[in-house]
Amino acid sequence: MKAKHQRLTLAVIAVVAVIGAGFLALAGLRDNAALFRTPAEIAVEPVPPGQSIRLGGMVAEGSIEHLPDGVTITFIVEDGEATVPVRFSGITPDLFQENSGVVAEGAFDANGVFIADNILAKHDENYMPPPMEDMASEATAS
Amino acid sequence: MDHWPFIVAAYGITIGATLALLGWSMAVMRARENKADALRKEHRR
Amino acid sequence: MHGFANPTRFLNIARPLTPWFLVLGLATIAFALGAGLFYTPPDYLQGDSVRIMYVHVPTIWLGMAGWAGILVAGVMQLVWKHPLAGIAGRAIAVPGAMFTALGLITGSIWGRPTWGTWWVWDGRLTSALVLFFLYLGYIALASASEEQGGTSKMAAIFGIVGAINLPIIHYSVTWWNSIHQVQSITLQGSTIDMAILWPMLVSMAGFTLLFAAIVLMRMRTIIAGVRIEARLRRMAEG
Repeated sequence: MKAKHQRLTLAVIAVVAVIGAGFLALAGLRDNAALFRTPAEIAVEPVPPGQSIRLGGMVAEGSIEHLPDGVTITFIVEDGEATVPVRFSGITPDLFQENSGVVAEGAFDANGVFIADNILAKHDENYMPPPMEDMASEATAS
Repeated sequence: MDHWPFIVAAYGITIGATLALLGWSMAVMRARENKADALRKEHRR
Repeated sequence: MHGFANPTRFLNIARPLTPWFLVLGLATIAFALGAGLFYTPPDYLQGDSVRIMYVHVPTIWLGMAGWAGILVAGVMQLVWKHPLAGIAGRAIAVPGAMFTALGLITGSIWGRPTWGTWWVWDGRLTSALVLFFLYLGYIALASASEEQGGTSKMAAIFGIVGAINLPIIHYSVTWWNSIHQVQSITLQGSTIDMAILWPMLVSMAGFTLLFAAIVLMRMRTIIAGVRIEARLRRMAEG
């Protein structure tokens, strides 16, 4: 009887684990499993102001501007087809820079500016050591 | 941001957990194989 | 007794092989991680945090390779009724689950300084978490049949069906917008500079050897357990 109970308990745990896995998979796959939308997708299918989404793309070269208040920045997210202006107040990750990938969480305001609550940096699949001159100067400094 | 606390944490957790799993696997195997050997000898007698 | 013929031959090979895999694996890992921590250059963009790759990639690789092993063992168990296949599947489950957990944890630790977040519900991260829960389900199913000394058909089927998650994890970064970068190493080559890449390959080899040693130990444990049970039953009978 005891062994039977144990088996039953384990079977219940197994079922719960499978259901949990399925639930997580569905949660992850909602929205076509895409983490973010690109400017091109938003140009085709506009997002109403106030609806929170994630916006992803590249930070356009020369577009990062620091506003006089010291904590707010504006920049442009592009994907080669369309662009979206973004405003963000807060601390950005180290890897946030121009010509680099970014995922911004937030919503559009009435003027079509994307107000980000949070900024994530996205890096690409390339890994390499720093350029030679940097390494040399570091070596002499230390 | 200083990356080293993150690096140390990642390496520490990986090495610690791997060694713990290794030690546990080894201890359970030794105990079980010794018991099997002892039983076999007892049975032969 | 002929049922034991195969496990006996297996043990004759497994017993001397275990310490070799163990020592070689530990030495290789120590060398790779030492080089990865203190010798190789930082990444031009990520800086030193790239060193987390040397523990992240091998651990998540073993999580996925482990389930591939469970798939192969499940097929061998169901199709050829190989007596060791079910044991191998069960032996892989616990180390596979632990290395998946380590892959998730180290990935999360890497994500904080690079992406700026510990976790997002992203295709790659979520499917890797699903792999961990699949391991828990497999372990529960497999241990449900343990006290009979048998190997569970249910677990084997679960292992085969669950393998659908492996291509999902692999292609998640290509199919969907993801925070995770796409594959660096493909059939076309690698986009990781050799100076940064080599400790990762050495580390993967070392962790794989160690994983093999642990699986051999777990298989020996299960076989010894089956023998103890069979012996006790015969002693009780007569």
